[in-house]
Amino acid sequence: MDAKDSMRWEFRFRAIFVLILLAVCLPCARGQQSAMDLDGHALDPLATGSGKVVVLVFLRRDCPVSGRYAPAVQQISKRFADRANFWLIYPDKSDTAQDIRKSVEEYRYHLPVLRDPQHALVKLSHVQITPEVAVFNRDRHLVYDGRIDDWYIDSGWARSAPTTHELEDAIRAASAGESMARNEVRGVGCYISDLE
Amino acid sequence: MTFVKRSGTQPLLIVAAACVIGVLVAEPASLRVLHDSKPGESVTFNRDIAPIIFHSCSTCHRPGEAAPFSLLTYTDVKQHARQIADVTRSRAMPPWLPEPQELKFADELRLRDAEIDLIARWVEQGAVEGNPQDLPPQPKFVEGWRLGKPDLILTATKPFTLPPQGTDSYWNFIFPVPIQETKWVKAVEIRPGDKRYVHHANILVDREEASRRQEKEPGAGFGGMEIRIESQVFDPDSHLLFWKPGTVPYVEPEGMELRLDKGTDLVLNTHLQPSGKPEVIQPSIGLYFSSHPATKLPMLLQLENDVKLDIPAGEKNFLVTDDFVLPVDVDLMAIYPHAHYLGKDIQAFATLTGGKKETLIHIPQWNLNWQAVYRYAEPVRLPKGTTVSFRYTYDNSDQNPLNPNRPPVRVRGGNRSSDEMCHLWLQMLPVNFDVAKGDPRMALQEALARHNVEKNQGDFEAHYNLGSMLQTRDDLDGAIREYQEAMSLRPEDATANNALGAALVARGNAARATEFLRKAIQLRNDYFDAHYNLAFALAGQDDFAGAAKEFQLALGIRPDDAGAEANLGVALAQLGRFKEAKAHLQRALEIDPEQPVAKENLEALKRETAEH
Ligand code: HEC
Repeated sequence: MDAKDSMRWEFRFRAIFVLILLAVCLPCARGQQSAMDLDGHALDPLATGSGKVVVLVFLRRDCPVSGRYAPAVQQISKRFADRANFWLIYPDKSDTAQDIRKSVEEYRYHLPVLRDPQHALVKLSHVQITPEVAVFNRDRHLVYDGRIDDWYIDSGWARSAPTTHELEDAIRAASAGESMARNEVRGVGCYISDLE
Repeated sequence: MTFVKRSGTQPLLIVAAACVIGVLVAEPASLRVLHDSKPGESVTFNRDIAPIIFHSCSTCHRPGEAAPFSLLTYTDVKQHARQIADVTRSRAMPPWLPEPQELKFADELRLRDAEIDLIARWVEQGAVEGNPQDLPPQPKFVEGWRLGKPDLILTATKPFTLPPQGTDSYWNFIFPVPIQETKWVKAVEIRPGDKRYVHHANILVDREEASRRQEKEPGAGFGGMEIRIESQVFDPDSHLLFWKPGTVPYVEPEGMELRLDKGTDLVLNTHLQPSGKPEVIQPSIGLYFSSHPATKLPMLLQLENDVKLDIPAGEKNFLVTDDFVLPVDVDLMAIYPHAHYLGKDIQAFATLTGGKKETLIHIPQWNLNWQAVYRYAEPVRLPKGTTVSFRYTYDNSDQNPLNPNRPPVRVRGGNRSSDEMCHLWLQMLPVNFDVAKGDPRMALQEALARHNVEKNQGDFEAHYNLGSMLQTRDDLDGAIREYQEAMSLRPEDATANNALGAALVARGNAARATEFLRKAIQLRNDYFDAHYNLAFALAGQDDFAGAAKEFQLALGIRPDDAGAEANLGVALAQLGRFKEAKAHLQRALEIDPEQPVAKENLEALKRETAEH
């Protein structure tokens, strides 16, 4: 086995490990959460909407690709309203509640909104980029994190329409109680780590 | 009594005009010097990165400009640090498509490899701020209109609402220019509306109010990616008035001002990208006038070979070329290549008579969203006999992620965004010519039309334009032949019917002309030129009552046309209706005191009525 192969093994192992850790540790992870609604009240999106899938959509106001996804996110959330609760998550600590309110209104979102200045939900969800999504099944296990679809290929390079639909596939699988092949693909957009 | 020919009987030139004008100069900025940091030394924002950002990014990345966020301070840049490392490495930013080449472009926006490495190292090392004393001053930018208050500001009457989602929109705004006399424009500032949603915009000069026919109601604007404008007489487009992100208004070189006449419309063709929310786009245009008229006459030459664009579904590497031999010496000032979504490798080059080949532009990965006019740092002299060529390749496979069709479908040349294009616009200034031999731009236009006819017998516009050029040279038989060819391709084209009719009138064949002119009117009832020309044809057959009626119809379309008034007076005089004749001749002189037909005939009329 050459070095490259062993690295791949290590990577795979880590992915599995993380999953197990999550499953075991969810209650304690929840305890640390400090996401809050726009009135400043701590709110745990995973503690809500029992019986439904939870989808967290991570956005940055200064990220053009985040913005362009607004109509698609709104449409997908509507299509799956009976099965999934969507939350918009803003991880930029310099955003005020008012900034976010204004943005949400401009983009005509009708979805609940949370601020995540401590990146508690970011960590829980493993997301790296805006826009990316995290899908939690009814048992609140993280079943998918990554891009919404393959509309964007790279910064500044978009297809005329997406050809894959990872978010919708994940919601379908999670709500049917099926396990999902965890082949996450990272989104194209702005790094959340640049906000730290 | 005499009729005097006016421009109505002159040929029209159809110019395909997705084109443009323009050019863009990035903000003047000082030359940047890279700090000579040793490999082990840590990279800091203040000392190493700020100079690069200020020079190459802040022009666009600041409030009010095209980019989505500012890059002016450490915090700004830190907040996007990793993405900046990515987009500079991939050379997506700063946006600049051409490869480096020997012939330099003005205001090249290209980072050096060393700068890209430095940014990458800075991010790897944790994006450190560094010593405040190392920070260079922020660049200064002019607020508001860049060249001061314009002499004339035009604002779109009706804004366009860009839908939040979907494919890109192409919208055209018409700006009537409220001037009473000819003006010479030395600079134009295009403010395309909220710059964050405009990919590019360019101005077309419409000297005939031809575009207004496309509006549902006056001022409404109209959709369409590529527009074409007909223009009377030989008056080729000459300037590239183009906006893309980062554009600073370009001041034309002394003597190369753009002519604007009373009654001219400027048409702003915009390419808009949905942002996720509805956006209201209301552009404005600032015009700066010069006190003296132009002395140099550049011309936009459009090479194309769209007829060859028939790209099979799945074809990965479809090549289209064209080669045009220059009939006169020119200075090449600027170049503007254009293709749609399937374009891949875009190249243009010049082969001098000695065989030496010069790359004019090479874009290895075309991207419609960043299309631009490229102006040469120095004009490029291309002597007569030089062959100007382009080679464009297209990828219509499903491996081209920008392919709008999934699965791929056969794509042909055309004006819609789902069609393809292979166009190359060249702004050329003819040099070393003998004025006595006529306008060298006509030689260029005629050679190009001939070239296009040879390439494609089915090219309506080429036949038409060749006809126009021949007619201007008084080769009426040649002109009639070409117009007939054009007509055989599009029998229902009002413009071609009118042109053929006009050429036949000029040839003295008024009887045959009548048929085509009537057809032109039947096809387009509000066609001023056709009524005007038909009036001439009828007068040529001594049907002055018919002529008077047609002049009246023409005046119904353009009530302030001095020529039509004058000629109506003449026709009425021929009918012995002197009192009415006099009134119309006088009205013509009210509109234009120098109207020669009116002056001459009013004198004649006075003598005539005195005699009786
Ligand atoms: C000529 C104007 C211009 C210049 C110069 C420029 N940018 Fe940009 N930049 C833009 C525009 C316009 C966008 C938005 C693109 C979009 O919306 O797809 C952008 C977007 C970006 C983005 C976000 C990309 C995305 O898709 O989210 C980054 C990062 C960026 N620029 C960095 C830079 C850096 C670093 C520089 C200098 C080295 C630079 N830019 C120079 C116009 C410019």
